[in-house]
Amino acid sequence: MVVSKMNKDAQMRAAINQKLIETGERERLKELLRAKLIECGWKDQLKAHCKEVIKEKGLEHVTVDDLVAEITPKGRALVPDSVKKELLQRIRTFLAQHASL
Amino acid sequence: MKMEEMSLSGLDNSKLEAIAQEIYADLVEDSCLGFCFEVHRAVKCGYFFLDDTDPDSMKDFEIVDQPGLDIFGQVFNQWKSKECVCPNCSRSIAASRFAPHLEKCLGMGRNSSRIANRRIANSNNMNKSESDQEDNDDINDNDWSYGSEKKAKKRKSDKLWYLPFQNPNSPRRSKSLKHKNGELSNSDPFKYNNSTGISYETLGPDELRNLLTTQCGVISEHTKKMCTRSLRCPQHTDEQRRAVRIYFLGPSVVLPEVESSLDNDSFDMTDSQALISRLQWDGSSDLSPSDSGSSKTSENQGWGLGTNSSESRKTKKKKSHLSLVGTASSLGSNKKKKPKPPAPPTPSIYDDIN
Repeated sequence: MVVSKMNKDAQMRAAINQKLIETGERERLKELLRAKLIECGWKDQLKAHCKEVIKEKGLEHVTVDDLVAEITPKGRALVPDSVKKELLQRIRTFLAQHASL
Repeated sequence: MKMEEMSLSGLDNSKLEAIAQEIYADLVEDSCLGFCFEVHRAVKCGYFFLDDTDPDSMKDFEIVDQPGLDIFGQVFNQWKSKECVCPNCSRSIAASRFAPHLEKCLGMGRNSSRIANRRIANSNNMNKSESDQEDNDDINDNDWSYGSEKKAKKRKSDKLWYLPFQNPNSPRRSKSLKHKNGELSNSDPFKYNNSTGISYETLGPDELRNLLTTQCGVISEHTKKMCTRSLRCPQHTDEQRRAVRIYFLGPSVVLPEVESSLDNDSFDMTDSQALISRLQWDGSSDLSPSDSGSSKTSENQGWGLGTNSSESRKTKKKKSHLSLVGTASSLGSNKKKKPKPPAPPTPSIYDDIN
């Protein structure tokens, strides 16, 4: 029972993701998020953080994995609430439109 | 079974919310990943720290945020006292007034150029020495003799056109004018200019000649402009056209519709006589070559020069000729006091005389 439910959920997610990509909504949301993050200074904040990390590690020894590990938690935390709300609202409307399918 | 149906048909709110959050987290992670790639590339390519400068210079270019100062730390109403020196008149003018001043001073624009020209002319006159004025006089003399010559012609030709407006003594005056070329006052050229208008003064001799060979060219009384219709335009007569051509191109020019024999006749006279005779020819248009000799004698008599022809013929001729070109023949002879308007010449009259 539980396993079948998990499978159902996974199928649902896959279908929804498929829908997101097919309609191009995912690209639109990504673009919107990028613009909003640049607008609110998220990028500059992260860059400043990056500089510290890179200086700490040394310019030559920086890898992408290091950066992702250091930056992603900080990035998630730094997204302003307004941007988060707007994005979630758009995702919800998309789901409402396509949930019946 | 029931649960499966629910999840199949649709998701309840909490599940939808969970999926939305998941998608959002995905998107943010995507952005972070993209940013990390960007930074990593910048670091490896060596341009990540390029926009950094040392703190000292950053301090130098810090944005100043104080009342009364602009962002560079300067007093921002300084420009009010700025003054510019005009390159033309070398006066210093407040910067805010400089552009309008320059417009007037350099004479750009319509009104301004008039003002400026007048001002320059005035200052030149004030500064002129006497020698300069003499030079100007010489120039004026040249203009004047050119103009007055034309004017004499113009007056003669005028007579043919505007007889009612001329007083009977005018032939005398124009004659004397022509003989005293060098002694006239300077005001005459200006009169001449006023009477002819501007439009053809701007034309060169070649342009004028071209114009007169292709167009009517008769000068309007009202507009002072030349008629631009064809040589056969119905609004003006052949006499008017010929008079205009004489006025501009001189009597020696071969005109359309004038017989060559007439030209030969006029060539053996002196210049002034040639002019006058030509004007008479113009008055009586369409003279046949057979008439030329006799009418010439009558002109000469009119001027007191030709006395060779017989008396009877002379009187005969004079009558007919005077009736045709009353004023022209009364130029010199005082026998005719009142000029008559020129009757339209008809070839039949001449045929009768002959």
